[in-house]
Amino acid sequence: MPFSANATPEFEGRGGEELGTELSNTLYKVFNNKHSVDLKSLCISAGEHCWVLYVDVLLLQCDGNLYDAISVAIKAALFNTKIPRVHISADEEGGKEIELSDDPYDCVRLNVENVPCIVTLCKVGHRHVVDATLQEKACSVASLIISVTHKGTITCTRKVGGGSLDPESIFEMTEAGKRVGKALHAPLMKLLQEEESLGKARQKVGFLG
Amino acid sequence: MPTDTKRVRGPEVSQSPTLFLCKHAAVLPSHGPRADGRQRDQVDVRPVFVRCGLVSQAKGSAYIEAGNTKLMCCVYGPREMERKDETDMKCGKLTTDMRFAPFSCLERGSWIQGSQDKDLSLMLHESLQPAVCLHKYPRSQIEVNVMVLENSGSVLAHAVTCASLALADAGIEMYDLVLGCSIRQNGTSYVIDPSYMEENSCSSVSSENQGGLTVAFLPSLNQISGLQSDGEMTEETLTAGVRTCIEGCYKLYPVIQQALTKAVRRAAPPPSES
Repeated sequence: MPFSANATPEFEGRGGEELGTELSNTLYKVFNNKHSVDLKSLCISAGEHCWVLYVDVLLLQCDGNLYDAISVAIKAALFNTKIPRVHISADEEGGKEIELSDDPYDCVRLNVENVPCIVTLCKVGHRHVVDATLQEKACSVASLIISVTHKGTITCTRKVGGGSLDPESIFEMTEAGKRVGKALHAPLMKLLQEEESLGKARQKVGFLG
Repeated sequence: MPTDTKRVRGPEVSQSPTLFLCKHAAVLPSHGPRADGRQRDQVDVRPVFVRCGLVSQAKGSAYIEAGNTKLMCCVYGPREMERKDETDMKCGKLTTDMRFAPFSCLERGSWIQGSQDKDLSLMLHESLQPAVCLHKYPRSQIEVNVMVLENSGSVLAHAVTCASLALADAGIEMYDLVLGCSIRQNGTSYVIDPSYMEENSCSSVSSENQGGLTVAFLPSLNQISGLQSDGEMTEETLTAGVRTCIEGCYKLYPVIQQALTKAVRRAAPPPSES
């Protein structure tokens, strides 16, 4: 997870490394789940070969609420992933030869139904705020990160920040986070499928596309 | 990736013999009493042995043993901080470091801190920071070092307890002791203060609720300073789990208090009535 100094001046030099470690570890916990990403679909031949998925995140600009944005980006990227089909044929000496299909459209897509989305709730005073900007985050003592799947199950929670929270406010924040997270999935999937169906007719914005 | 250049490793082609052993996946029964005789679904934490003040060089230190989990913590400070930048000079800085000894787990670890160790150190820092009165130590740095000697489950929870004891032993001003407790949810039943086998066993039945939860709690202020969960749980299970962990922390509280008073008495014996 490289943090370039583009994002904020705090990340200059090695400043972003600690935050990067925290982010990578939390994201690993969020997605390291039997049901989140179907790892069995990545198997090529049982016990011998399988695909390894590397997820690299580059932060362009930081305005608070990193976890939420990154989780949405990861879900969209996984949705867009195309894995070429593999044909295994027996070689002359009995070894297996692996051939990747050359056709760019002959590919396997990943099922991202169960991939969770992260919601960050910051405690400001006696209330909590969802999707805080950098200024709002500066006013909060502590925040709670919850990752929710589309069914409403919570895969990972973590408290960050240097303050302490009341148990009652944690229960309130969990409930609110679950509600927001559950409501986030349906519009996201719809948008991704819409953009997929546009294909070449997609409008290009800026340098992307 | 940091590599260990100080040790002579075997030739490149050598592989560990454990790779070739057929490992039978340890499936623990999900009913009935647990392996060490404790009950499921009850707040049955392991009996704890705590001792303060064992490292004479450190300002404060503590040792905790719960079942087979053994941890040690040393506190150094408050020390003068090098003036890197002029911000944050009004309050002190707390640095935490948590390391696993290579002989602590079933498989040999390395002396260089991996990313899991760094993550645990960060969680420890977040759990301890609300409790320490850092505004009383401006321009100073307090270092907390935890060393895990044997990892037999619920390491982070005991590390939090041990670290807050060591801070108290060092005489650092705190709002309250921080106690840690962890729980492992397996389907409909939970086990509190899980051992290493219970933490890492993947049950054959892939049921809805599977996960672990660690809570760091300040008992007299009734505040949660650290919370971490992973796995898959519903919201009600999570809420019930947090409540159970809080109960577990209350159970530990008198033991920790007693150990602290014993240590203080030993260091400064009360004047005998003559």
